[in-house]
Amino acid sequence: MNIQEFQQKLFGMGEKQGFTDMELYFEREEKFKCGLFKGEIDSYETSEIAGGSFRGLFNGKMGYAFTEKLDEDSVLYLVENAKENAQLIEEEIQEEIFGGSEEYQAGSFYSTELAKVTVPKKIELLKEIEKHIYAYDKRVTGTNYFILESAESERYISNNKGLSLDEKQNYIGMFISVVVKQGDETKTGAYVKATKDFSSFVPKEIAKYAVEEALSKLNAKTAESKYYPVLLRNDAAGDLFQTFSEIFSAENAQKGRSLLKGKEGETIAASALQMVDDPFLEDGLLSRSFDSEGFATMKKAIVKDGKLVTLLHNRKTAGIAGIESTGNAYKGSYKGSLTVSPSNLYVVPSKKSLEELTASVDEGILITDLAGLHSGADTVSGDFSLAANGFFVKDGKVQNTVKQMTIAGNFFELLKNIEAIGSDLEFSMSNVGSPSLLIKELAVTVE
Amino acid sequence: MLAKSVIEDVLTAALATGGDFSEVFLEDRYTNNLTLQGGKIENSLSGRDFGIGIRVFKGLQSVYTYTTDGSKEGLLKAARNAAHAISGETIIHPEPLKKEIITCAHPIAINPRETEKTRKVNVMKKAYEIAKNYHSSIQQVLVRYLDEEQNVLIANSEGKFIEDKRVRSRLAIQSIASDGKQMQPGFYGPGAHKGFEFFENLNLEHYANEASRIAVTMLGADPCPSGKFPVIIDNEFGGVIFHEACGHGLEATSVAKNNSVFANRIGEKVASDVVTYIDDGTIANEWGSITIDDEGEKARKNVLIENGILKGYLIDKFNSRRMGMESTGSGRRQSYRFAPTSRMTNTYIAEGKSTPEEIISNTEHGIYTKYMGGGSVNPATGDYNFAVMEAYLVKDGKIGKPLKGATLVGNGAETLQLVDMVGNNLGHGAGMCGSLSGSIPVNVGQPMIRVSEMTVGGSKEGE
Repeated sequence: MNIQEFQQKLFGMGEKQGFTDMELYFEREEKFKCGLFKGEIDSYETSEIAGGSFRGLFNGKMGYAFTEKLDEDSVLYLVENAKENAQLIEEEIQEEIFGGSEEYQAGSFYSTELAKVTVPKKIELLKEIEKHIYAYDKRVTGTNYFILESAESERYISNNKGLSLDEKQNYIGMFISVVVKQGDETKTGAYVKATKDFSSFVPKEIAKYAVEEALSKLNAKTAESKYYPVLLRNDAAGDLFQTFSEIFSAENAQKGRSLLKGKEGETIAASALQMVDDPFLEDGLLSRSFDSEGFATMKKAIVKDGKLVTLLHNRKTAGIAGIESTGNAYKGSYKGSLTVSPSNLYVVPSKKSLEELTASVDEGILITDLAGLHSGADTVSGDFSLAANGFFVKDGKVQNTVKQMTIAGNFFELLKNIEAIGSDLEFSMSNVGSPSLLIKELAVTVE
Repeated sequence: MLAKSVIEDVLTAALATGGDFSEVFLEDRYTNNLTLQGGKIENSLSGRDFGIGIRVFKGLQSVYTYTTDGSKEGLLKAARNAAHAISGETIIHPEPLKKEIITCAHPIAINPRETEKTRKVNVMKKAYEIAKNYHSSIQQVLVRYLDEEQNVLIANSEGKFIEDKRVRSRLAIQSIASDGKQMQPGFYGPGAHKGFEFFENLNLEHYANEASRIAVTMLGADPCPSGKFPVIIDNEFGGVIFHEACGHGLEATSVAKNNSVFANRIGEKVASDVVTYIDDGTIANEWGSITIDDEGEKARKNVLIENGILKGYLIDKFNSRRMGMESTGSGRRQSYRFAPTSRMTNTYIAEGKSTPEEIISNTEHGIYTKYMGGGSVNPATGDYNFAVMEAYLVKDGKIGKPLKGATLVGNGAETLQLVDMVGNNLGHGAGMCGSLSGSIPVNVGQPMIRVSEMTVGGSKEGE
């Protein structure tokens, strides 16, 4: 059954069963993924998937159901389950099906150039990078993973209030983790990037970056466990901001799960901090001209001179707050319900390079990567205690690498303790990005 | 779910360019997810996942393709896409399919798909009431309910043709305690390879009260000191430490490419004498149990480490080729969207002889962790980390004041050698494990153990 036919049957059945407003949210994705190990293709994956989510108002309550099979059985399954689900909902304030914004800003999220890159070209790139990886240093023993991934996807929203929107996007991503060994020490170095520009992958540079990352971790020494000034390199800072990006959600705030509740207009961070949510970034992973309920998206300041400008809203949370939506309604996929998420959220870069930031530190720790973010960070209280890798900094210079560490602190305090912001904004493989940040102090424990 | 003749055509098409093995995995899965916040049902989601994964091997080359298009044309197109990645002449044809009938090793009494959702809501509300009424400082309680029925069909060019139904149920209770200034969470999430009977027989009082007790206790806790200490880790979910520190490093995914510290070390001493580590997918109705794995192999009990000696790995079909070792029934995947690879099921440290009282009374100054949060590991280096949900100071052989904000970091291979006491109170805890082939249900388990020295990262400077 094609999508139009499916929608017609679905809405017909829905109406018969008592639904008033109805929506079909549909996604289609084509993906290619390829992994290389010592010259051989050891994983190769292609896929074509599609699925739809039905959302509808039944007795004033919103019911949801999704399917990946577009057949007669599924029409019945969706309507019956959405109806049963709607009847269970007890929350008084409900979502609505949206008729559409007046205007949608045009964006460029699909690169026709990228779509033309052939599979042999992609494999050739991987082989080229791998050659450089092994040639770079004889301590390289293998790769932990070495994968290229490209995808094209399409989102489609249509409802019985006259809305019908459609958008395509594509990207290509690279995930590399190089393993080096020296004596008893084994270390890994990663390179991760998503882009729409295939030519931005320069094999020699990528190989150098990943291998140097791994090599730099060798000869790890211990250091005194205490409070240090901490320099978070751009990728580590981005990971931390990604983890805590939920605090900017008005939905979390309204449910008492974010300490930023009611803080609009107040100082929440060092005055140097500027944060922006930009759905129109060309290489942004969550770039989009309409959000997951069909509202027009917009670029906006979230933090200005350390003051919280606005939280992120969908139409429901905006309604509760008595303001307009910020176009941040979000569904992880057709399998999820409507929530709130940033599009591409980032800390606005300043002018200093990482070297200049380092030069300003008398004694401190430079953190280059963080682990355990899914378990060691509590977004409600802001407390975090995370495994970390990085270097000892003395007299403005990077010294030896330090054995595995933990860094502990509180994110809300960290925002206020940002002493300097770097110029090196990076998103790696995330919709949240940051330049390197110098933090006044964090508790550092060394293994 | 799919006609035999169509499967045979697909397996044949996938081998057209010289592959030496082809496989079809079909999945039709029904799920229900409900969320109760503040005593009210906030979300109820139902869905049907449907898709097919086709895999082809040629020597050490593996190709995977998946699609939601279940029509014959759609499948043949996918099979040709997979074959396209290999170049050569046909070398083998699939064996005729022989249907294997299996009996589910984990019988289900009440199918959740045929259970009214209002009954599910009742269970959630009961859990909410218990957790909320535990103490006046409990400010919020979030209860999540999950059930799923996953129907799979697995067929391959060796003539295998097998179907399985996996039904799983889980309840997750999160309590948040607050004193007006700070908030502390507590969590418990029991699950099983069972139907709705799981909820009817569940000791809700115990789990809901524990979630709240943890939150309330942690509200009054001191910041954890950092430094190196003997650490006592209690049973059940405490086993997550060995899941991270050792389990992932024993998966063929990292062993086959020599990326694991355990590679090529069978027969060697990798842990202290008191450590025996087992992965057992056959335990009746446990959360991580399976009747067959996602390559159609029967689940097994695999002894990985016995009295400190490395005995075996967890191996899937593809990695068994690179390693020259048999599959251990460990090929698992989140869904048709992932090619299977070696994964854990119910993994645990076997019981030792010490009683928990002996372990604690023998510890002069250390940290006791009652409940663990989650963690992660870099399998290449063995460096792991995890968060502690509920911890206490141990002083002069007695459990003292509660501590919050502790993280444990270390290296798996080193930690294994430092286990010096193993208790006699084995217990299992349910969790989700994420790796190459997606997020899958697993149990972690152990009796109480003691590690003679671990690095504890806290927010307070060392004592």
